[in-house]
Amino acid sequence: MTRPSPKIGVYGFTGCAGDQLMILNCEDQLVDLFGATEIRSFVMAKSDNHEAELDVALVEGSISTEAQLKHLKDIRERSKVLIAIGTCACWGGPQAMKLGDGKFEERYKKVYGNAKITVSKAIEGQPLDAFVKVDMKIPGCPIDKQEFLKSVSKLVAGKHPYLLKSPVCLECKWKENKCLLLDGKFCAGPLTKGGCGAVCPSHNLPCVGCWGPTDDLNVSAEYDLLKEKGFVPEEIITKIRKFGGSGVMELVKNLEKKEAKK
Amino acid sequence: MMILKMKKEDLPAFLESAKEWGELWGPTTKDGKTSYAKVDSLSQMDLKATRTVIPPKKFLYPPRFTMFDFDEEGFVERTGDVPKRILFGLHPCDVHGILIMDKLFLETYKDPYYAERREKTLLLGHSCIPDDKCMCFATNTDFVAEGFDLFFTDLKMFYLVWVGSSKGHDLVRMRADLFSRNLDKNDILNYTEYRKWKTAQFKAKIDLTGMPDIFELGYNSPIWDELGEKCLSCGQCSMVCPTCNCYNVVDEVDLGTAEGTRDRFWDSCMFREYSVVAGGHNFRDKRADRLRLWYTHKLQAFIGEFGKPACVGCGRCVATCPVDINVATVSTALKEQEVGK
Ligand code: SF4
Ligand code: SF4
Ligand code: SF4
Ligand code: SF4
Repeated sequence: MTRPSPKIGVYGFTGCAGDQLMILNCEDQLVDLFGATEIRSFVMAKSDNHEAELDVALVEGSISTEAQLKHLKDIRERSKVLIAIGTCACWGGPQAMKLGDGKFEERYKKVYGNAKITVSKAIEGQPLDAFVKVDMKIPGCPIDKQEFLKSVSKLVAGKHPYLLKSPVCLECKWKENKCLLLDGKFCAGPLTKGGCGAVCPSHNLPCVGCWGPTDDLNVSAEYDLLKEKGFVPEEIITKIRKFGGSGVMELVKNLEKKEAKK
Repeated sequence: MMILKMKKEDLPAFLESAKEWGELWGPTTKDGKTSYAKVDSLSQMDLKATRTVIPPKKFLYPPRFTMFDFDEEGFVERTGDVPKRILFGLHPCDVHGILIMDKLFLETYKDPYYAERREKTLLLGHSCIPDDKCMCFATNTDFVAEGFDLFFTDLKMFYLVWVGSSKGHDLVRMRADLFSRNLDKNDILNYTEYRKWKTAQFKAKIDLTGMPDIFELGYNSPIWDELGEKCLSCGQCSMVCPTCNCYNVVDEVDLGTAEGTRDRFWDSCMFREYSVVAGGHNFRDKRADRLRLWYTHKLQAFIGEFGKPACVGCGRCVATCPVDINVATVSTALKEQEVGK
């Protein structure tokens, strides 16, 4: 049984283009990928692009201008499935670390002053699902080749992709690493979605949370533990928010409320 | 069961001959962490280390492995490609852990992947040096009488060697010249002395008597909520516990084909996703409920079903949990109705 090749579009908004680059970096499987699918649009990779109906749109980056928002809505309208790729598209990325603090205008003024902006009006950077329905999130900074290819392969085969939901600690323990939290290091592993192979802790470097929040994170327990280890509250919250974006916004707010009551 | 005697200096020669049976694996320590690794000889092993990060369950039931390859026609099992291994240096708690895995994977429903690895792995136990986290005295797993192929008890000048299976006996016969059956009065006295010594080493504060009743009484205790608030849901406790055995199964397909693999990997009931059922309902949405399940399973339900706890007292949860949730702190908190600092 042969299925028609799915029509795919790859797009990038506010991000480092690392996720699109990672797709191009799938050297061994790139030919298969282009063979098994019909890549209708991928501006970063080719010049002959058709903006038409899509089976799957892979979208990188957060939305931070009105023009981007318009483009995103257009992509959504003509795509059966829309997948956010990379932490910026999924949760907002570092540009969303202050999300929801109500001080965007203030920050904007500080940077641009009264300069006349002719490109497109900037808005506070937010993940795709703040504006349109997102069918699936493949986070990562950048995304992991294997996780990406496994997901696409399943989509092409008409099956549901499976992404690990558990935290970085799962694979960290498979590698028999000693937990860095026990050594008093700031490891964001328990808060962060796994699938990266626990690369950082396996090199004795604490996880910084670059894959964004995991399925079920206990922000307040991590906060209490780190405070006990001697970290100051501002640093803990800044680091949790660095890649957490919309995924930790409410959790951090609750934590701050709880702390204020103490 | 048979007990033999061997001069300590003969161990390297014995292991050298045993390598004819299969790869030799033992505990090694690097950068302050101990894990089982493939070795050439005894000199590479660290027999003084009390525990490895991950217990030897990883050989019988790897963290992630492929069960079979499939295509549109059917599937082909991936059995047959497991190497023959000799694991040297398992402590009594490790062997007890494997005995529990055997119950789960070989009795009612025989798991072919586990069975194959178990068949191809020889377990050579070795006596241990307890540390302040060891709790096997509380779980009756400080000594072991079955489950191993050979067990070496270090009595300073000699080893007493328990022969626990015919495969173990085959290894002995490869170098029968190194073993003696002549045990005398002194050997008995030395062994008795050794048992006394070991029993006197334990420092952990834990008493698991009456646990099934305490769990029953404490089912609705607010202690679970308090513990749930502390737990990071990191799942490390399940990965390191020798009796945790839950897994997830996922299919992967090759790009552009209908061919692929069915993979199995370690999971944990401490994760929210673990108890999600069809329709998105979750019976254990609360962290407190998941913790209660983990500990009830170890210290109450398993006793009800198998007459012993599913905790072998290895101390790995004590050595691992970043927020000090472990069998000792949980059982104490439940008894004293207070979560310790
Ligand atoms: S080192 Fe970090 S990622 Fe690894 S187990 Fe500890 S907290 Fe988790
Ligand atoms: S519960 Fe803790 S002490 Fe008991 S077997 Fe598991 S890791 Fe070891
Ligand atoms: S828990 Fe008991 S059997 Fe295991 S290493 Fe410690 S003392 Fe030995
Ligand atoms: S009990 Fe400890 S090791 Fe287990 S999931 Fe909770 S924080 Fe992690």
